[in-house]
Amino acid sequence: MGRGQRFGAFLSALVAFAVGVTVMLSLLLGDNPALFGNQPGSDELARRLALPADALLRLVAIFLALSIVIGIANLLFVHVSRLKSGKFYSAVLLASFGFTVFWYVTRQGDTSLLEAVQLPIESALAALLFVSLVHGGSRVMSKRGDLWGLLFVAVVVLVLLGSLPLAELAPLQAWSDWLMRIPVSAGARAMLLGIALGIVTAGLRALLGQDRSYRG
Amino acid sequence: MDETTLQVYSVLFVLATAVLVYTARFLQARRARRSRRAQRQIAGIDLIPGWAGQAIESGRPLHLAFGSAGVGEDNTAVALAGAEFFHHLIQRVGDGDVSPIMSTSAAATVPLAQDTLRRGWSRCGALTRAQWLPQGKRSIGYAAAVSCLIESERPSAHIFAGSFGPELALMIDSADRRGQGSLAVSDQLQGQAVAYAMADEALIGEELFAAAAYVAEAGEAPADAIVMDVWRALLIMGMSIVLLLEVARQLPWLSWQAVAVGSLLLLGLGLLVNRRR
Repeated sequence: MGRGQRFGAFLSALVAFAVGVTVMLSLLLGDNPALFGNQPGSDELARRLALPADALLRLVAIFLALSIVIGIANLLFVHVSRLKSGKFYSAVLLASFGFTVFWYVTRQGDTSLLEAVQLPIESALAALLFVSLVHGGSRVMSKRGDLWGLLFVAVVVLVLLGSLPLAELAPLQAWSDWLMRIPVSAGARAMLLGIALGIVTAGLRALLGQDRSYRG
Repeated sequence: MDETTLQVYSVLFVLATAVLVYTARFLQARRARRSRRAQRQIAGIDLIPGWAGQAIESGRPLHLAFGSAGVGEDNTAVALAGAEFFHHLIQRVGDGDVSPIMSTSAAATVPLAQDTLRRGWSRCGALTRAQWLPQGKRSIGYAAAVSCLIESERPSAHIFAGSFGPELALMIDSADRRGQGSLAVSDQLQGQAVAYAMADEALIGEELFAAAAYVAEAGEAPADAIVMDVWRALLIMGMSIVLLLEVARQLPWLSWQAVAVGSLLLLGLGLLVNRRR
């Protein structure tokens, strides 16, 4: 890494650190006058402390809106380059893109083309997703032929049977409800707690400028 | 808990994590060699060297997918963790002739993906190998585009590390039918369930954030993974103690000594399970 690149990485890490710490402190300390003992002027102080986070988060919203332009540019660039190697689907995509833009501009914001073409196709794919899920579920035991795989399949079957509106399966309904209410809910919370811990660590890496995207 | 207390606890938690990360790094740096024995084993990670070798030898790319994890959104940390993981993966296939393909349905993640690819893959092509596949009104559009990519690019294996919903099933199914391996992890519970059931191997929950530490050749990342394990152990211990104390209120014969012994037993069991994984 050259000296210029090192300086650039240092600068970006510094900016990331400054912005990260400012937003974090502003979010944690702002908008809560009680934190300053409800003294005279604490309302104003709390409001002022909340301002930097508010301003920077609004800036993020603007950048996010602009990022769609980056996405479209990437999409066009990728498919134009693929067109050179004779990819038929890329030609279809580019033609569809051009036609949809033309339609939208000439029909003054009419989105009926989107509703008439994309939504039915997505709905069809969503139906196909069901088939994929059943197919995948049927192969669980071949992929995970252990106790946990067996437990996974048993729970799925129990919950599916429990959801059937048959009087004969009423006892299963109670088991299914219990499974969903206690073990499933506990497992989901445990997983979300783990993800939250990971997010704190990853966020801290970014905050301290340790993330590779800042280090160049 | 009132807002002020919550804010103070949040600051303390962040500071404690920072202290733990630096302590772990300091202790690690003191060791003459960077031992990986401190890290628990993750089964899914063991597949990666084989896939990397296969990608190099067959001249087929690896497909690295962020899903809908987007920079600037709720799952920014997921996108950053995915990028860190992918960076080390790209370095592993750096000797190959074909650059990996990265896909995302979040437009804001495109620059991150391109930058990750550029840093890991010194040769040209980063701009077109990191692809934005719009997800449409639902994520199904992204799944359809990835299925098309699976057919046209014939990747050797897929690593889905980011934010995915049930649409992950379509992608894994497409990959599976073409004999392509898959490793998947998602921050969404539905996507995680699909990953567990259908992918060749799945990482679970916070393993996404620790994954980079397992594929890194060297660096500070292992310290972060260890800190996450420490926090998790403390969390389990704390929750177990609270649970036992709650039970103790209803059972007069249960003393604090019994609670302490119970907690130690649970901690020991947790450590044992951790080491065996």
